[in-house]
Parts: sequence; structure tokens; C-alpha cells
Amino acid sequence: MGTISLEHGDHLFWLGRYTERVHTTLRALEKLYDNMIDVNSEKYVEYLACFSLPNTYSSKEEFMTSFIYDPTNPNSVAYSLEKAYDNGIVLREEISTEALSFLQMAIDILEKSKKSKQGLRLALLPLEDILFGFWGCIADYIYDDEIKTIIYCGKSVERLDLYLRLRFPFEKIYMEFERLCKHLRGVPKNTPYRYNTKQLSTLVELMGMGDDYVSDVPQAVAALGALFAS
Amino acid sequence: MKKLNFTFTTRLTFDNYVHDHSFALRCMPIEAENQHIISCELDISPFVTTKQTVDAFGNNVTSGYLKGEHRFLDYEIRGVAEIDNSLHRTDYMPCYLYQSSYTKPSAEIAGFYKSISADCNYTTPYDRAAYFSARLSEIMRYEKDTTDTHTTAAQAYEQRCGVCQDFSHIMLSILRIDGIACRYIAGLACCDGETHSWIELWTGDCWTGFDPTNNCDVNDDYLALSQGRDFSDCAIDRGVMFGAYTRQLQLISSQLLTSLY
Amino acid sequence: MTDTVLTLERATPVGNADEINELLRRYGVKFGIYKNGTFKEQLFPFDPIPRIITAEDFKAMEKGLVQRVDALNMFLYDIYHDKNIIRDKVVPEDFVYISSGYLPQCEGVTPKNNIYSHISGIDLVQAKNGEWYILEDNLRIPSGASYPLIARELTRVASPSAFSGNDIVDNRNYAKLLKDTMDYSNCGGINAILTPGRYNAAYFEHSYLAELTGSVLVSNDELFVEDNILYHKTYSGGKTKVGALYRRISDEYLDPLTFEPKSLIGIPNLMEAYRTGNVGVINAPGNGVADDKGIYYFVPKMIRYYLGEEPILKNAPTYLPFYEEDKKYVLENLEKLVIKDVAEAGGYGVVFGSELSKEKLEEFKNTIINEPRRFIAQEVIDFLDLPILEGGEQVMRKADLRAFVLSGETTRVWASGLTRFSRNPDSFVVNSSQGGGFKDTWVLSR
Repeated sequence: MGTISLEHGDHLFWLGRYTERVHTTLRALEKLYDNMIDVNSEKYVEYLACFSLPNTYSSKEEFMTSFIYDPTNPNSVAYSLEKAYDNGIVLREEISTEALSFLQMAIDILEKSKKSKQGLRLALLPLEDILFGFWGCIADYIYDDEIKTIIYCGKSVERLDLYLRLRFPFEKIYMEFERLCKHLRGVPKNTPYRYNTKQLSTLVELMGMGDDYVSDVPQAVAALGALFAS
Repeated sequence: MKKLNFTFTTRLTFDNYVHDHSFALRCMPIEAENQHIISCELDISPFVTTKQTVDAFGNNVTSGYLKGEHRFLDYEIRGVAEIDNSLHRTDYMPCYLYQSSYTKPSAEIAGFYKSISADCNYTTPYDRAAYFSARLSEIMRYEKDTTDTHTTAAQAYEQRCGVCQDFSHIMLSILRIDGIACRYIAGLACCDGETHSWIELWTGDCWTGFDPTNNCDVNDDYLALSQGRDFSDCAIDRGVMFGAYTRQLQLISSQLLTSLY
Repeated sequence: MTDTVLTLERATPVGNADEINELLRRYGVKFGIYKNGTFKEQLFPFDPIPRIITAEDFKAMEKGLVQRVDALNMFLYDIYHDKNIIRDKVVPEDFVYISSGYLPQCEGVTPKNNIYSHISGIDLVQAKNGEWYILEDNLRIPSGASYPLIARELTRVASPSAFSGNDIVDNRNYAKLLKDTMDYSNCGGINAILTPGRYNAAYFEHSYLAELTGSVLVSNDELFVEDNILYHKTYSGGKTKVGALYRRISDEYLDPLTFEPKSLIGIPNLMEAYRTGNVGVINAPGNGVADDKGIYYFVPKMIRYYLGEEPILKNAPTYLPFYEEDKKYVLENLEKLVIKDVAEAGGYGVVFGSELSKEKLEEFKNTIINEPRRFIAQEVIDFLDLPILEGGEQVMRKADLRAFVLSGETTRVWASGLTRFSRNPDSFVVNSSQGGGFKDTWVLSR
């Protein structure tokens, strides 16, 4: 339809980023939780280090509660979900009422899981289903490829950013990088989501380092952050 | 009847670059019974395409949109007009009988009206207006920089001083309490150097001008640019722009000369 | 008449209230309010007992509403052009020109197809005797259609059986009616809905109607006027012409170069684009003069004047203190009348004489004597109460109905409407900004 305004473009991009942040954070925390059961109960300190955060938590439980539920913690699931909703609410006519309803349901389920008598992981399981439902709506209901591409660009940037910070295996990172490039090719010229060539070449170069990428994570994250800055 | 050469220049300079600047100018004099515009040219800088419309009050509106960054907007009108105030305009609108945002009378204005109307024995709208103006000029002092474009009749009356805009507003307020339809005129007058404002009152079948600031009739040395219920309908330029701009400097100069040819 | 009452008693809740309210939440059916300076979104509580309007009742109402809205549109054209109705002394000129809704800036401006009120929200109440009365006309930016629209969608999900056994007119054509109306007033270009933003009380409605009508939801900074054409800025630096603007901001903020200069939500020079006929503005600016509480009194006279017909729908018996005779009656009977301040909206400025103390009553009489033009007085109509569910119990509450009338190629009444009720058993005020709820409105097909 060619009537995406600058403001809506921004909201679409950040909707993709925050929704992905919710999802990847959730899965990373679940993996961490699993490890802390019987392997290393203080592994969360390493997680904090990935984000250059000091350990101000007295227990793994306190850490988990904060990173899932604390709306004032900018790295928490709750915080990202609220931001995703804030971006989504102004995009109803682009993404559909259905898609928006999945974000509302996600908020409700997160809230409910707080009081659940089930274990934390069991209570959070439906949240993942809901997020897949959201992405299903995006894939299925949005006819306009430009709109979809902007959301997916946000999603890919966020996933790559978190995978880099969390030191994922290189193959995984490379796959996500390729996926990002695919989305970037779908962005029309003269729009703000057309990538910055310089930053992209920095990323390409870093991707050539293979498993040694870990030493250059800060550089890669910075290039990714500036990918759309003019 | 008099032939007048007129020029009117405004230079708007902004503190910083502005963009997406929409403006509406009401500076092209209107063709009317009492003033015939022989020629009139408008120059705007920076260059911008404009459109001309006529608004509900009969004013020529020049509207434009400057998208890119700029630090100033200058415009100038230049032309020749034939003024003959022995002829009268007849474009009546009912809203002129009612108070408008700038003219809403305060208790003080209402009180003043009560006192001056009590000993006013005149019956025609023109005579009453002349009488009210004379009484107003006894207590109002002309003084620059004591009011601004937002000052209402009530505020100006309270401090008993102001400029032509304030005299006109108070006069309109009083005439409307008296049940006389009247309107605000923004224009140029000989020897003024800036813009001037005066009023027109409805005599029953036509408009006639009166200058409350100078407490005199409007002769053929006046060129009307726009008219309306009060200043808000007649603002010579209005604009909305974006940018880090904080202030604007406005320099105005006008010249009205009796044509020698 | 007794039939109507019987229909009501037969009405049973459709689905479970909590279930449907939960669904409404899920789809983001909320309205925003400011409490103590912070923005909160809250649900507009839904009551599951529908209001039922019989086919016969609706037919009469439909005719009456079309007649009324057609006359109001003719009145608006007349006021901003020839003013025959004033010249013929049917409406006193004071009432027109002192009205804050009258905008001289719109004099002589003719909207496409002479339609001023494209979407009219006409508020009615039903009296105990079954008769419908018009309470007020809303011709500026009436809101509320989206609530019963989505509620119907959801109640059909929650309890399909209720709909298979009843002959209920499907109300989900509202978006189609609205789109037709927008298309008919479109001057070439896209349809856009202008919202003041997500912190506006009716933001849900703006976004939902944009989605359903395929319009672009825009805020003012995405629009600009160049060469008297309204454009939407796209993110690629391009521009798309807007042919119809369904604006959900009020007249005074619409164009800072014509109206309130300090407006931050308006579009500079929109009035020039509109005057030139390059964009349809829905509803037209200046409509406030026809839905003024003072002008309301004259609507039946307008119908006779413009259409030469007898009004089908009645006004509530109304007195204008502006007329000596009426003032006398109002002052003598103040304790049994309801007084409305013509300048206020949204259920504010409504005073019931019966609720005033002796001193207040005297004080109010003086206010009326001093400012007779400011008020209208009405007989209190004995509302037909509607059953609502409260804590599982059925209780009776005051309710009104906002009917939506859409004017395009033809004038159409939406076979539904927004039924609002008051939570407070003693209150007659059913406005949603004062804490009420809403019901679905069923129009029966036979």
C-alpha cells in the first residue's frame, strides 16, 4: 500500500525487536534455570556478565524473579513485553487486532504465572505458545511485504544481538546473520531500514572470524546497533 | 479619490534552522468598492510555490509549505491602489454583531460603556461610534510595547494604554455591546511605517470606517489588507514550523505614498 | 406498549459476563482515562443482557432518524450559506451566532455533496410508555460504535446458540457503512483516520475502525498540506494524497492557521485544502452549531421547515429560558426539571432540580435569570429501566441509546447502537466518561 509513515516504520521495527527480546530472553533463562538445578547454582552470575551487569542478587531465585517479572529491570521479560505491547498498540490496522490480542494474552499469562502453584517453567510454557501464535499472525495476516520485512528486520537484529552477547555457538550466529541479510534485501531503497553499508561490511568481516568471534562481540554489537543509523 | 503606491515588507529571521514550515499570509489587499487594486505583486523568499484562496471573511489568503531547512522567510507586496472612501463596502456577515475572543467585555468595559452611553444622545451608529471613540481617547493612551498580539480588549482597557490593535478591540467591544455590528481591519496607513488597524461599523446598509487610535474618520490614506471579527481573523502572517528554533525576529516596514502620476 | 416491556423481561444474559469481558480485554477494547495525572487504560464494562428493539420499533425509529439527520444536514448547509431559516424567523439568530459551535471561518465553504454530518450519533431514551425521545444530537465526532461492534463479534463466539434461535440483524456491517460514507466524500486519494494519539480515550475505536475500513491511521505530524493538497508522508520520503480525512479531533484544534493557533495536534492549512475541495473532512468543521443544546429545541421546527414533514421522533419536552414564557415556567418548576448547560458535554453541566437544596435552588434561579441563553430545561423523562447483571443478580438501571446514522449517497441507520447504562441506581447520567457500562443492542429482523 506504500503508506507506511516514519513513525509507524519505527514502531514496526521495535515491535519486532522487543517481541524477539521477550522470546530469546525467556528461552535463555529457561536454559539457565535448568542448569542451575543440579550443575551450577550460581551460573546466573555468568549471565549477568554477558550484559556487563554486576551481581546484586542474593540468590538464584531473586535473580530469576527479577529477570522475568520486574518491570523496572530493562533486561526482564516483563519489561520487554510491555515495550512490545506499547509498540503494537499503535499498529492495529497494520498488524491486525488478532496479532495484537496475542500480546495482550502474553501479558496476562505472565501475570498469571506469578501466582501459579505449578513450577515456574511449567507456568511459563503457554507463554511460548502465545509468542508463536503472534508470529503466526504476522506471517499469515499481513499482506504487505514491506510491513512484514520491517518487523522481521527488527526481530533478526534483536536475535543476533542477544546470540552474540550470550556467546552462542558460531554456526547459530552465522545462520541468524544470513537470515538478517535476507530480510535486509527486502527493504526498499530510500527508506530508513535500508542498511548502512559500512556497518554491514564490519559485520561481514566479523562473521569471517568463525569461532574467534567472541573477542569481538562488543564491536559486532555496536555495528548491529548502528545498522540503520544514517 | 486618491491613488496610492504601497509597499509592505516583512522579514522573519529565526534563531536556528526550521523545516516543515506551513504559513498563511493575509497581506494581499482586497478588491472592494472603496479600494481598487490596480496592481499588486507578492515576492516571497526563499522561493516557494503558493496558492491563493479567499477565506470566509473575504480575505486573500496566500498559503505555502517550505519543507527544507531555512532560517528566514521574507515577503513583500508592492502595488498601486485607488482609494475612494466616498464609496462603501456591503459585504455583511452576522457574526460581526457578536463579541469575539479578543473583544469579550470585562466588567470594567461594561461599566465604561454604561457611563458613556448614559449621556450619549446620538442615534445613528456612526454618530454613536464617533462619540464613544472621543470618550475612549480621553482615557486611553497610545503607548508602544505595553501590549502584544495576544492582548485582549479587557486587558488593554485595564491598563488604559496600548497600540492600534488594542484601541480597535476596545472599540469593537463597546460597539457590540451597543448593538452595532462592526469589524476589525488590518491595513496600511500613510505615515505609519508599520501596519495599522482600524474598524468598520455597519450603518444599516453599508460599512463605514473609523480610526479609534487617532479618533478620526478613515480617509483615502488607508489601505485595507484584511478584515474579520478581531485580530485573530486578520493576522497578516501565521505559521507553524518545526526545528530547534526558539525565537523569531520580525522586522516590518511599510510605505504608502500618494501617487504622483 | 406493554409488548416492549414484555420483551425486556424475556431477555436473558447472553453468555457469561466475565468471559466476554475477558475476551474484550484480550482484543484491547479499552478506553484511556487520566486519573491523578497518570494515564490508565480501563475496560468499558460490558453487560451481557442485550437491549432488544423490535423490528417494528426500529422501522419507526429508522425513519425518524433519517428524517432528523437529513434536516440537520440541510440546516448546516443553510446556516453556512443563505441563512433562510433565520431570515424566515424559525430559529432566532442569537441562538446560531452565539453558539460556540458556529464557526464563521466555515461561511461559504461547501463540503462535497453538501454533506456536513457524515456520522451522526443521536442519543435517545425510551420512556416507560414505550415512546422514544431524542435526548441530544452529536454531529461533531460522536464515538462509541466500535464497542457494540466488537462485542457482537465476541458474543457470537462465546454463545452461538443465542444467535441461532433469534432473528437478530447482523450489526457487523458498520465498517462497510463507514467505508461507503468515506468513499462518497473522498475527493481523490486514500482514506485516513486522524487520531490525537494512543492516549486519547477513544484510541481503541480509532485504530479498530482504521483496521476494519482499510484506512490509514495517522497522527498530525504524518500529514502536511502543500499546494492546497493534503498529503501523508511515507517513510521513504514520498507522499500520498489523502482524499478523505475522518478526523477524530475537534474543530478548534483542526488547523492552527485558521483556528486555535496553539494547537499542537492540528494540520496547518488543512482548511485551505478543504475549502478548495481537495479533501473531504469527516465530519465537516462547524457542525457544532447544529448539535448545540440550545439548537436542539429547534430541530422539530427544522424538520417542518426543510422537509415539510411532521417530526417522527419526539424531543424531550424542552424549555428555553431565553423566551419569557418558558423562563417563567422554568423558574416556577425548577425542582422537577433537569437543567443543562449548553456549553458543557459528556454528561457534565447537567443539574437535576430535585437534587438541589433550597438555597442552591434559589442561587440557580438567579443564574438562569442572569444568563438565560446558557441553559435549557427539560422535563425528567420516566426512563424505561433496563436489567443489568450485578454480582450475579439482575438489577434495573437507567440506560440510553446512541444510534448511528451515516450519510453518504443515501442516509442509513446502523441496525444496532451503543446502549450505555449508569452503574449508580439513582443516576440518570449514563456517560461512559462517568463510569457507566454498555450493552449490545439487538435489532430484531421480524
